[in-house]
Amino acid sequence: MGKVIACYKWVPDEADIKINSDHTIDLSKAKWKISDYDKNAIEAAVQAAQVLEGKAVSLTFGGANAKSSLKDALSRGPDEACWINSDLASEADGFVTATVLAAAVRKMEDVSLVICAEGASDTYARQITPRLGAELDWPVITSVSNISINGNTIRAERQLDDCIQTVEAELPAVISVLPEVNDAPLPSLKAVIAASKKPVTELGDKDLGITDLTSKTRVQSQKAYVMIRKNIIFTEGDALDQVKELVGNLKKEGIL
Amino acid sequence: MAGIYIYSDKGPLAAELVGFAKTTGKAVNIVTFDQNSAASAAEYGADKVYLLAGDSLLVENNARAAAKFLMNEEAELFLVGSTPRGRDIAARIAGYLQCAMVSDVSSIVINDGQVSTERMIYGGAVIQSEMIDGMAVLTIPPGKFEAASGTAEIATVNINADSRVSLITTAPIVKKGVDISAADKIVCIGLGMEKKQDMQIAQDLAQVLGAEISCTRGIAEERQWLPQYIGISGETVKPSLYLSMGVSGQVQHVVGMREAQIIVGIDINDKAPIFDAADYGIVGDMFEIVPLLIQEIKNI
Ligand SMILES: Cc1cc2nc3c(=O)[nH]c(=O)nc-3n(C[C@H](O)[C@H](O)[C@H](O)COP(=O)(O)OP(=O)(O)OC[C@H]3O[C@@H](n4cnc5c(N)ncnc54)[C@H](O)[C@@H]3O)c2cc1C
Repeated sequence: MGKVIACYKWVPDEADIKINSDHTIDLSKAKWKISDYDKNAIEAAVQAAQVLEGKAVSLTFGGANAKSSLKDALSRGPDEACWINSDLASEADGFVTATVLAAAVRKMEDVSLVICAEGASDTYARQITPRLGAELDWPVITSVSNISINGNTIRAERQLDDCIQTVEAELPAVISVLPEVNDAPLPSLKAVIAASKKPVTELGDKDLGITDLTSKTRVQSQKAYVMIRKNIIFTEGDALDQVKELVGNLKKEGIL
Repeated sequence: MAGIYIYSDKGPLAAELVGFAKTTGKAVNIVTFDQNSAASAAEYGADKVYLLAGDSLLVENNARAAAKFLMNEEAELFLVGSTPRGRDIAARIAGYLQCAMVSDVSSIVINDGQVSTERMIYGGAVIQSEMIDGMAVLTIPPGKFEAASGTAEIATVNINADSRVSLITTAPIVKKGVDISAADKIVCIGLGMEKKQDMQIAQDLAQVLGAEISCTRGIAEERQWLPQYIGISGETVKPSLYLSMGVSGQVQHVVGMREAQIIVGIDINDKAPIFDAADYGIVGDMFEIVPLLIQEIKNI
């Protein structure tokens, strides 16, 4: 009857990134969101907690603006939220993030299962699940497309590049789910209202008793990838004329 | 022994990583976990091949023991082929070593013990460069470096694999059809196509163009209509022509095809980001446009 933790990251929407003339990036206009695939991790945790008859808890390591994520996360079904509020989050590498999340999991006690998504939509480094598992020294199962839990045993299907493996481990464990593991439904109005009444635990990184939280990698620069394309778009007129224009151009390009 | 250590569950990728590692002038060692892989790896031009012999059927179960081995050997850099298994074991080893890791790097420069890397973030919209002092784990996708060859001796080290995750069954995924990463022309379908039978128009177009068919992630992973898809978590393609229908053109998809020679998008929504990525585009209903296009190409 242990807890099931869903880890998620609060990220700027990559579709809102503005590019400055020197190719640096401007995130000041970006809306923030729960990283896309983390919604599936939250849903998987809610489902697993039902099977285990335990509580689903959402866990995020984020800066001050991650406060806005708590209600969104809770409206997706977890019973409680935990927020590690720290300025370190914005520059955290995989080492720092996994260390913080592991400390938070240890502090929560009685945790049966930790579920992450395969990767975050900003960095998509796909490190956190294995790193977190190593920090906790728990069994790890990545690339999970199907979960079944029986007693204290988790059985999972792993979708790899060349095969589908079925594996088994005793809980507690750390797993990462693929987005195909479930449909993460949009929260209902009722769920959104209920979310405001659910308990939230807020901790600072100092509360976790970790001594070293220095990133092992130092970011030197972030530059936009600039696409230079012809952008000749036929929007108006007769469809046949548009198609003829396109075919004419493709002939000129030597493609047809 | 200090130096660079390499692992990939895909042999040819391990050989490419050796190709890079040899340019640094450091000792180059390949790590393997089974006899067959060790025998193949002995032809990839490394100085030495280590067979870390445990008894697990899951490669990832060797992470803890491999981390200890790398620490004892005072490895300076651990390069891992970026595949699902590779990324998993690499990050677990970085976790046990509490060291730096950079995933899916597109470039590496080593200078005076410092490692500089580049990788894409925000789905491919931004390139981030990072600097690391000390031991680093890097994962590297295929196709970045020339493969090396040459014979190496094999040294066997017995290890204790972690047995807490056990393998119950394995079902191979049989990838039908051609490998799109080598296709010269590609017709790409997206979630704008709602019925599987509608794929016929894409097939007809592909036929007149002499193209292969591919798709976005949702078509392959959720609907499972096609085995391979294009994008940051799928394939990277460089065809002479990429033509999409019903693909919105989110950056995570575009990053996999933006090196195509000519990009054409057909989408009903004039605001779809595919048009920013395209050389030519038609705003319209694919069920109207594509049949006309097939006819026009036949008329040439
Ligand atoms: C971490 C991460 C990794 C990802 N990796 C990948 C990846 O590797 N590859 C990938 O593809 N995606 C990836 N995605 C998903 C990606 O963000 C997009 O969601 C996805 O590419 C959208 O697929 P789509 O264009 O097929 O569908 P949609 O975005 O739903 O677009 C459908 C399009 O069809 C158009 N349409 C509808 N009807 C018609 C019609 N009759 N005629 C013409 N047009 C029509 C619509 O206007 C729309 O533009 C990833 C996402 C995340 C968060």
